[in-house]
Amino acid sequence: MMEGRCAAESWAEFGLLGKSGSSLVKCGTGTDVFICTGGEEVYVFTAQEKTLRAVLQMPAAVRDVVVSHDEQLLFVACWSGVYCVNVQLLVPRVSSLLVVGSVLLTLCRTDASWSLTLYQIQRTSQSDPCDLLASFSLPLVSPKVQSDTESRCVLVCVYPGDLMPASSPPHPPRSHYPLQPLLFRRLFGAEAALSKSPVVLCGLPDGRLSFLPLRIPGSRLRILHSLEQSVVFVGASAVMETDAGCAGCLIALGKQGRAVLIRAGRAGLEGGGGTRFTLGCVPGPVECACMDQSRVYYSTGSDLLMVDLWDGSSGTAGRQGDKEDEASRSNPAAFLTPISLNVSGVVALHQPARSSAGEVQLLSLSVRGRLQSIRLPVRTQEDSLSKGPSSQVGRSVGDILSAIGDICERASVLKTIIRSKNQILKQLNQVVNISFLLSNRSESDLKPVRCRGSVRWSRLLQRDSLNLTCVLENLSPFVLERGWTLSVTVLPLSCPLEAGGEASSVNYSFPFSGLGPGESVEVSLPVAAAGDASFPVTVTCSLLFSLWRFLGQEEATAPLDLQSACFSLPLNTLTVDWLHALRLSDPPAPARSSSSPADLLQGFISSRQLRCRGGQASRPEEYSARVRVSSELLRDALGLAPGSPRVSLLEWLLSEGCGGVKMERKGIKTDGSSSVICGSAPDNATVKLTAEEVNVEEKTKPLVIVEVQVKSSSVAAVCGLHHAVLRRIQTLLQKAGSSRMVPTTDLRLALQQAEEQRGQVWEASSVGVSSGQTPPLLLRVYQQLRDGPLLIL
Amino acid sequence: MIQSTSLLESWTQENNQLASGCKLQDGQNEPNREHNLFRQRRWSSDFHRLLRKIQGIPPHLDRAQLELSVVYNTCVCFTAQSQFDEAELLLTQTAQRLLQIAGDDPGTSDPSVLWRTALKSVTGTALHRRVLSLLCLQWGVWLAKSRLTAVQDFQEEVSLLEAQSGAVWNDCRAETKEKISNIPILVLDPRRLVDLLKICTAIVQGAERLTEGWSVLSALQAASASPAPRALIAYTHLLSGSCLAHMNRPQMALQCYRKALETDPRCVCALYQSALIYSRLENSQAEIQALRILHSMLLLPSTTEPAMAADRLLSPSLFLCSQSLSSLLSVPSALSVLHSLALKCVIHSRVSEGVECYLDLLAALQSEDQHGVHAAVSTLPKLPRLYLEAGAALLMARRPADCMALCDEVIGSTLDLLPEKVLLEDPVARRVAGSGEVTEEAENGLVRLLWTAAAYLLQGHCYSQLKDWKQAVTHYTRCINLLVKVHYKDTGFSLQMPCADKDAEQGVDLCVLQRLKGLSLAGRGISFAQIDRLREALRDLQLSRQAHPEGVSARRWYGEVLWRLDRKQEAAACWEQTWSNPIPSLSEALPVYAQELQSGPLLDSAELRQKLQELGPT
Repeated sequence: MMEGRCAAESWAEFGLLGKSGSSLVKCGTGTDVFICTGGEEVYVFTAQEKTLRAVLQMPAAVRDVVVSHDEQLLFVACWSGVYCVNVQLLVPRVSSLLVVGSVLLTLCRTDASWSLTLYQIQRTSQSDPCDLLASFSLPLVSPKVQSDTESRCVLVCVYPGDLMPASSPPHPPRSHYPLQPLLFRRLFGAEAALSKSPVVLCGLPDGRLSFLPLRIPGSRLRILHSLEQSVVFVGASAVMETDAGCAGCLIALGKQGRAVLIRAGRAGLEGGGGTRFTLGCVPGPVECACMDQSRVYYSTGSDLLMVDLWDGSSGTAGRQGDKEDEASRSNPAAFLTPISLNVSGVVALHQPARSSAGEVQLLSLSVRGRLQSIRLPVRTQEDSLSKGPSSQVGRSVGDILSAIGDICERASVLKTIIRSKNQILKQLNQVVNISFLLSNRSESDLKPVRCRGSVRWSRLLQRDSLNLTCVLENLSPFVLERGWTLSVTVLPLSCPLEAGGEASSVNYSFPFSGLGPGESVEVSLPVAAAGDASFPVTVTCSLLFSLWRFLGQEEATAPLDLQSACFSLPLNTLTVDWLHALRLSDPPAPARSSSSPADLLQGFISSRQLRCRGGQASRPEEYSARVRVSSELLRDALGLAPGSPRVSLLEWLLSEGCGGVKMERKGIKTDGSSSVICGSAPDNATVKLTAEEVNVEEKTKPLVIVEVQVKSSSVAAVCGLHHAVLRRIQTLLQKAGSSRMVPTTDLRLALQQAEEQRGQVWEASSVGVSSGQTPPLLLRVYQQLRDGPLLIL
Repeated sequence: MIQSTSLLESWTQENNQLASGCKLQDGQNEPNREHNLFRQRRWSSDFHRLLRKIQGIPPHLDRAQLELSVVYNTCVCFTAQSQFDEAELLLTQTAQRLLQIAGDDPGTSDPSVLWRTALKSVTGTALHRRVLSLLCLQWGVWLAKSRLTAVQDFQEEVSLLEAQSGAVWNDCRAETKEKISNIPILVLDPRRLVDLLKICTAIVQGAERLTEGWSVLSALQAASASPAPRALIAYTHLLSGSCLAHMNRPQMALQCYRKALETDPRCVCALYQSALIYSRLENSQAEIQALRILHSMLLLPSTTEPAMAADRLLSPSLFLCSQSLSSLLSVPSALSVLHSLALKCVIHSRVSEGVECYLDLLAALQSEDQHGVHAAVSTLPKLPRLYLEAGAALLMARRPADCMALCDEVIGSTLDLLPEKVLLEDPVARRVAGSGEVTEEAENGLVRLLWTAAAYLLQGHCYSQLKDWKQAVTHYTRCINLLVKVHYKDTGFSLQMPCADKDAEQGVDLCVLQRLKGLSLAGRGISFAQIDRLREALRDLQLSRQAHPEGVSARRWYGEVLWRLDRKQEAAACWEQTWSNPIPSLSEALPVYAQELQSGPLLDSAELRQKLQELGPT
């Protein structure tokens, strides 16, 4: 009866379900959905906006979730107990909290402003636990300053010191400071003083210090001061001895160490306001801070520092007249002098506790997640060293030892860093050396770091392919360390017409970790598959150096520009040609008496097959090409005994590493007498190579020459092999340094021939363009050229 | 075909189940608003799901009845949750589907054209009333979005709706009785919807036109006779009252407001408007009464919630969201009302009541309970001024000790914020230059200085009430010393600022400054006269007369001192002048503490006359 398909819409991904807890989905307030994936988290998902509103992290695996009837409280059962969460307060992006009496304040950043929201916390009535009272907002200054979103805001509450809030406990809670009434009046005005209203101070990441009197009708957030750097700490301190119990000085610390001290000036001296804003500086950065009656403790991350506001210039500035104050204002740097406490890595501090003996204890959290209790020695004004009792001495020795431990730890960390940096510098030096070595030489020189290659046919998954084994040799005195990559580009010189005629290159890169002097590394890559006739193939080798790989993942967390962090040094170029790619087979059977009848039969069958395949349609044309070399020349060049240069020529042709590439063959199957080699080209055409010694009457004297003939039914194979043979002989002769006389008499004949052929080519190109006769004509000319070659003397 | 009919039946059943469940639960009044909202959301999603199933197949005449009913139910649920856009989209789509059945294509998505064509295509068929009820919902959406022109465009169709509502739906009722299972149930009777929309439209239109200055009395009075919730009827009375008040008929307006209150006792706005009218009529006793009731009503928890509880599916407040209406309906906060009540009591010589109100107000401001304090815009004066007003009230109630305590607080909080001196520029030049920050700071200084001076003045009054003349002289002197710190930049600038210029705050401040000068000098002069330092007394009183020529007691005492100095002719002349103008009663234009409070020693006028008569024959 159901019509249509049911639609399953995917709303969110929560990853794999854990195993320890139970998986749950429950609907809660309005469109809220509570999801447990079996782990320690409860996800709060809004079905309306289809976004994740909150993730509640529980201390143990969640077993069950239930929502109260008024849908305001969420009860979560874990292994360790039942927890209660007020769902209404799951306000996103709240960065700071403060409780003043029965009011909870949240400060959060919206898109265009900071907004301070007040909630009434009613402990008695269950029906409506949190009532939104009011919301105040302060527009953001500019998007540039606001990018620093992670940093917390500071929320503290100050109230006039003569007023003790009735509901508050005898010890004022953290972030609550009783302020000297005079200072309070001067800062926040008569109205706030008259209403005895607590005032909330917000230190914002953009450096603004703003305030809001809580109990004045129609009050709004106003700016008290701007520190121009992210506010890290706001506190209050009793500067004078006369300030009994309430603070006469308000302090704000910025992230980069700028500090402002706000005190009440003398009545009437400075016009209406009479508050003195003293700017100061402490060595930054300030990670966190706290303060007791007169001292500010703050951590720079590497050290914990203490600033005493009673001592030193600040204290005198407070006691002396206003001229001193003017001076300190004009020169803010000479103002606060911190004392090092030698504790490193502190990232969070709690308000210090002072014992009855005057000892100060700080609770801190280190960057490695260690909770530390830091005891500060009692500092008496006059003689802190001489009169200390033995227990105190012992304690101070302990303190010093722990300080030494801290410093040791810090030093070892620094040492490791320095060591690794030195290592990196050394390695970079090697890199620079190698770069010079490789880039300064001209092309012809043999590079100290180069590649050799050898090719081999291999069969994998019923498919033959020609593999190139490339050996990178390091003949330089330097080490190639990590960060280097061997990059090999395989580029066929031509490619089949079907592929569009455009040769496409294939790039292989092989990262290697270390290559000492004299060592080599071997890599293997496919060059061509069977049936692929796009030879010769140029193999360009180069070395790449990537700074990114060199530095590794952890150092290079900052995204390096890949283009600029990488450079390439060209090495030599290898060429794989038709001769390299030639697969040898047995020569045709009739040429000799073979050993076993089975072989004979096999040979017969294969020859028949060849013939059948070839002779299907009127016996295809055999193409051939010839190269003629004087055997004397060959003998000299190859350094052979005057025996059978023809066989050795063939052997040499097939085995010699030419273009830096060697052919690995099991052994060439030419028994001493035979001078015929059969094989198959990569395009599977049968190829026959013969070498014969021929006597030629060259004008006056008889000459013995070796004639190498390439025969195949495939034009491509003939051309490619001819080209390969010529190239080898050319390099051979170049090496031998031929300095013979060339008889000029034959040249005339050769020239005549050449002219005749040129005429034919011209004729073919002019006449046969339209008729489609051009290819056969050109082929004929080509044949003639190849069949009657010049003799190489 | 068989499947189609059974599908139709099953859908009809599903709709009927949902709708009856909805109607059943709607009757139960849930105390929790949140829960109510959640329930509504569930209904609308259920209906919407059903609708998507139905609209998944092409429209057909057989199913149109059911489809239109489900659309109606879904849209009602959407509207109940203020999802007007969704509702409107659905309505437009439905109209298009309807036209598909009829084979018409108007080629436009303009809703008014669509609806007209749709209505025309179904005229005379059974679908007509369904379409009309959907049009009714569209009307509601337009109303909620304050698109009154669209509503007016459809006046004709709407009147058709009204005309047919009786006949057609009665017909429908009869039909329903016959075959109850086959007819899809609607969650809300369209007739009720029409009634609700009619009166809401009348109210919103009335408010709009009223702010534009039109007279809408007849339309409103017609609307007030229609059957509707009490709160809405009360609104029509209220708007009629406002209209009459605009037409300068305060008594009739008061009648209307009374009717509004009788209809709906929670209509606090009517009470507030009445208080305003009484204030205009200068019927202070009635005004005080109205303010007192208003304040006590504002303190009740029920009135802080929206006037109409959403006990039914569609709350009228959904349709009453026009800007001008809400401005007409706005009522100041309880604290503001309390303040004006206190002030009125003090001014209209119900001092003891006024004192109680002031003390309540101060207690409310000091309390931890912060409800109502954080209004977006506060009409309350600044705290020190409130303290001083309360102090003046206490003084008038002959409680000098309490008054002094309050003044001490003000002095304590402002004294060390006072500027060394205040330099005032020529107000004309400043007006041209515009108010910069510096001026604002200076004004702040002036304001604080005036607060402190007033506190000293009140303390002087207190001491003179206690007949501690030396202390009185000390405090008056402190006041004077503060006041002379105010200087003027332009020497040619006249100090006699007209008090009528109330627009400029500075004008009021200057006026207060002059008053305070006059009063403090007069007070000191009188105190000197009491301890028989007549020369000083004469000097101070003379100066006081210069600073504040209207001061009556200063003049009388000037005469008295002259008399005592045996300059009887001059004294007689001085007294003669004072007969013509008695001590003026307190006004609202200036702070109470800057006016003559009649707290000091008084001269018996009968005695003066006797003295004059003695003098006369000589």
